[in-house]
Amino acid sequence: MTMDTKRKRPARYGMVIDVDRCTGCGACMIACAVENNVPPAQPEATDRTGITWVRVYQIHNGASFPENRTAFVPVMCQQCGHQTPCVSVCPQQAVDVDRETGIVGQMPQRCLGCRYCMAACPYHARYFNWWDPVWPKGMERTLNPAVAPRMRGVVEKCNFCQGRLHAARERAAAAGRAEPKPGEYVPACVEACPTAAITFGDLADENSAAAEQARGGNTFRLLQKLGTEPKVYYRSSRPWVHQVAQQDFGRRKKEEIRG
Amino acid sequence: MFPGIDGFEWTPGHLIFLGIFYTVVAVVFLTLALAAVRAWRSYRANRAEAIRWQADFHDLPARDRACRHALTGEMRERVCELGFDCRRCETHARLLEERPPAQAPAADTEAGGVRLPLDRLYHRGHTWVRPEKDGTVTVGLDELASRLMGTPDRVRLPKAGRRISVNGTGWRMWKHGSDVRVLSPVDGEVAATGGPEAGWYLKVKPAEGRLDARHLLRPDEAAPWMRRELERVQWTLGHSLADGGVMVQNLSEAVPAEAWDAVCAGVFLQV
Amino acid sequence: MDRALISRGVRRCSPRQFLLWLVPWAALAAFGAYSAGLCLVRGLNQTNMDNRFAFGLWIFLDLTVIALGAGAFFTGFLLYILKRHELKAVINSAVVIGFVCYSGAVVVLMVDVGQPLRAWFTFWHPNVHSMLTEVTFCITCYLTVLAIEYLPILLKNRKIRQVPSFLVFEFELHKVMYVLAGVGTFLSFFHQGSLGGLYGVLRGRPFAFREGFAIWPSTFFLFILSAAAAGPAFILLTTWLVSKISRKRLVKLEVMAELGRISGVLLIVYVLAKAVDTLVWINETAPATGFAAHQFYAWRPFGTWILFAEIVVFGLAPALVLLDEKKRQRTGWLVGAAVLVCSGIGLNRFVLTIQTLALPTLPFDAFLSYTPSWQEVGTFLAVIAYGVLVYSLSFRYLPLFPQERELAEVPRVSGD
Repeated sequence: MTMDTKRKRPARYGMVIDVDRCTGCGACMIACAVENNVPPAQPEATDRTGITWVRVYQIHNGASFPENRTAFVPVMCQQCGHQTPCVSVCPQQAVDVDRETGIVGQMPQRCLGCRYCMAACPYHARYFNWWDPVWPKGMERTLNPAVAPRMRGVVEKCNFCQGRLHAARERAAAAGRAEPKPGEYVPACVEACPTAAITFGDLADENSAAAEQARGGNTFRLLQKLGTEPKVYYRSSRPWVHQVAQQDFGRRKKEEIRG
Repeated sequence: MFPGIDGFEWTPGHLIFLGIFYTVVAVVFLTLALAAVRAWRSYRANRAEAIRWQADFHDLPARDRACRHALTGEMRERVCELGFDCRRCETHARLLEERPPAQAPAADTEAGGVRLPLDRLYHRGHTWVRPEKDGTVTVGLDELASRLMGTPDRVRLPKAGRRISVNGTGWRMWKHGSDVRVLSPVDGEVAATGGPEAGWYLKVKPAEGRLDARHLLRPDEAAPWMRRELERVQWTLGHSLADGGVMVQNLSEAVPAEAWDAVCAGVFLQV
Repeated sequence: MDRALISRGVRRCSPRQFLLWLVPWAALAAFGAYSAGLCLVRGLNQTNMDNRFAFGLWIFLDLTVIALGAGAFFTGFLLYILKRHELKAVINSAVVIGFVCYSGAVVVLMVDVGQPLRAWFTFWHPNVHSMLTEVTFCITCYLTVLAIEYLPILLKNRKIRQVPSFLVFEFELHKVMYVLAGVGTFLSFFHQGSLGGLYGVLRGRPFAFREGFAIWPSTFFLFILSAAAAGPAFILLTTWLVSKISRKRLVKLEVMAELGRISGVLLIVYVLAKAVDTLVWINETAPATGFAAHQFYAWRPFGTWILFAEIVVFGLAPALVLLDEKKRQRTGWLVGAAVLVCSGIGLNRFVLTIQTLALPTLPFDAFLSYTPSWQEVGTFLAVIAYGVLVYSLSFRYLPLFPQERELAEVPRVSGD
C-alpha cells in the first residue's frame, strides 16, 4: 500500500442481516463458494465436513400448528472486534485482525492445520480442508483469479471477500481516491441476496447504512455476552426470533441445519 | 528471522518468551557439550578404567559393598564408599594404627571349605597377590573363583609391558557364554602371563618398585570375608553350596544355567 | 548374543518368550502405523473429526499421556533437586516412561495437524500469546531433554558400556544430570500448565473458559498439580504391572509407598483447588459469559455425575487412601488408588477436550456427538503399542530398576 492510498481513519466493516427478509434460499452460500473458490464438496462430505463460509441455520419458535413459525439465520465469521477468540490462539500468527478494516483475516499459506482456532470459535464459522480441493474438468475455468484456492489441511473462513476489497482499493487508487466509496466494496453474499437482507458497510462511518441499521432498534448480536464484539448484527421485528437467537443456551431438540 | 516478516513487531511478550526459550535451549546444549568435553578429556587421560570401577561400584547392591572392617566384626554395618580402595581410607588407617594386625596364623586358614594360603594377600575381586623374591608379584584367582570358573572357555590376558591399575581390568575370561572382567589387585606393569593351567595369571612389576598392599586383605581377614562371599553366592543361587559340608568341587557345573551370569556378576563384582 | 546384552545379576525370560510377547504389540504398532499413514497420505478425511468436532480422540490421548508422563520430570525433580534418594530406584523407569509418552504424543500431534511439514512455522513466526506456542516450544525442548536423559540409560547397556568412550560419556553425562532435571522441571511445569491453559483461555467455549492469574487461566495451575499427582501414580502402576508381568521384584515396597505418598499429597491439594475452581466457575465465570453452569450438564450422558466422579471418586477417594500410612503398606490399596488417580486424570482430560467440543454454544445449535474412525483408533493403539515395545526392550536390555539385582537375591537359611 502506498502513502497516498493510506486511510486516515480505520474502517470497521460489518453487516446487518435482516432475519425477517431472509427466505433461506441459500443464494448467499452459493455466491460465496463461487466467489471464494470453494471446491465442490467431496461425495463423502457431510454437513459437518463440507466448507460453507456462510451457513444458513433454520430456527423455529417452538409452537405447534398453526402458531409455528420459522426463520433463517445466516451465520458467517462474525468478525469479532474485541479479544477475537481465534487470533490469540493461533500458534503461528496465521490469523490477524486488519487494523485498517477490522476484518479478521486467515492466512491459509501459513496455517498449520492444528484447528485450535476452530475449537476457539464460538460461532463454528471456521472450516477445515479435509480433502484436497478438486474441481471437475472444465470447472477450473470458473475459478476466480482474485482468490487463491486453499490446499488440504488448512483452515479457512469468511473474510468479507477480501479479494473484492483489494479490487475495490485498486480501482479507487486508479481513480486517485484514498479508499473505495461506500458501495464500491460489497461481499458476494450481500450482492447475491435476492431479498437484499444483508446490509454491508463501514460501521465506523456513522453515516453508512450498515451503521445506521446497527444503531437502530430490533438488532442483536449472537453470543453477545461473551464480550467478543462481533461486527455482524442481526435484525428482526419478531420478538420470538430475538428470544431464540439470544437464548442463554442451546435447545435440546436437534435443529435442522441447512446447507 | 522474525524481523522481515510482514507485520512483525517486537513486543515485551516476544522478548520474555523467546528470551526464556533460547536460554533453555542454550543451557541444554551447553550442558550436553560440557559432558562431551569432559568425557573426551577423561578418555584422553586414560581414566576410563577408573571411571568404570567407580560407576560399577556405585551400582553394586549395598550389601556387596560391605567394609572389610565390618566383615571382621571390628565395626558394625559399614558400607564402603571408596571403591574398596583402603589406601585412600582414613578409617582404615586409623584402625590399623589402633589395632595393629595380629600375628599371622600358624597354618593356612580356610573358610567354608575354601583354602586361603598364608603366603598371599587377597583382593575383594577374588584374586590373590603373592610377593616374589625378585620384587615382582604373582596374581591369580582364589579358590572360590577358580572352582567357579573351572577351566575358562577363553582367557584374554594383557600383553607383557601393559600397565594395569587397582580395580581396573586385570584380564578377561569367558565361561558358559558369560564374560568376566577380573579386577586387577595391584598397580603395575605386566611382566609375564600364565593362565588357568599355570595356577597363576599375571606376574606384575609393582608400580614404584614395591607393593602397596594396604587395600588387600590379609589371610586372617580373608576368612570372614570368604564366609560372607560364600553366603552371597548362596543368596544368588537360592540354595546351599555345601554338599554334605564340603563345597562342591566344580562349581561351574553345579551352578544352574539361569543363575550362572548372576553368580559370576556377584563373585567378580561386575555390573 | 541376547544374553550378553542383558544386565548382570538379573534374569530375563528366554528370547523366544520375549519374541512371542513382542509380536502382537509389533502387529498392533504396524496396524497403527498404517492407519496413521493413511491419515498422512490421504488427509484427515480418514478421521471422523469434522468442522464442529475439530479435535477428537488424539487430543484426548495427547493430553492424557503427557499428564501420565509427568512422572519423569517430577521424579527427576524430587531426586536431583530435592534429593529424595529413595526415588533412584524408579528414576530410570520414569525417564523411559516419560520419553515414550512424550515422543508418542508428539508423533500423534504430527498426524493430527493438517500440514505436518509446516510445524516449524511455529518457531519461525511464533504467536507468543498462544498457549499452543508455549506447548510446542516446551514439548520440543522437553522431548530433547528426555532424549538426553534417556541416553545414559541406553549407554548403561552391558554391551554398549564396554566401549570405553561411551562409558566415560555416560559417567560425565550423569554428573550433569541435575542441570537437565532442573531444566526439565521448568519446561514441564510450563507445558503441563499450557496444556491446561489451551482450553482455559477459550473465551468462546464457556464450558472450558476460566479466569485466572495474569495470562494464565486457573486450568493452567490445575493441570500442573494434577499432572504432578498423576505422574508418580502412573510410575507406581507401571512398576507394579511390569513386576507382575515379568514376575520379578523390582523395587522395595517403601519406594512404592513413597510414590503413593507423594501422589496422595499432591492429589489432595489438587482436589481442593479443583473444588474451589469449580465453585468459582459455577458462580462467577460461567454466568458472566451468559451461561448457567447447570445447563452444561443437561446433555446426556454428560450429567453432573461427571463432576462428582472427577472430584470425589477419582480424586478425594484415592487421595485419602494414599494419605493413610497403613493402607500405603499394602500393595493392593496402593495399586488400586493409583488406578483411580490415573483414570481420574484421563477423565479430566476427556471432559476438557471432548465435552467442551460436544456442547453447543450457539443458542439454536445442537449437542454434537463424535465417534472416532478406525484410523483414529488405530493410531491411538499404535502409540500404546509403541510404548509397550520401547519399554519392553528397555526393560530387557537396560538397567531400569537398580534394586532388582539386590531383590533377586533372597537370603535363605542354608540347606533348605
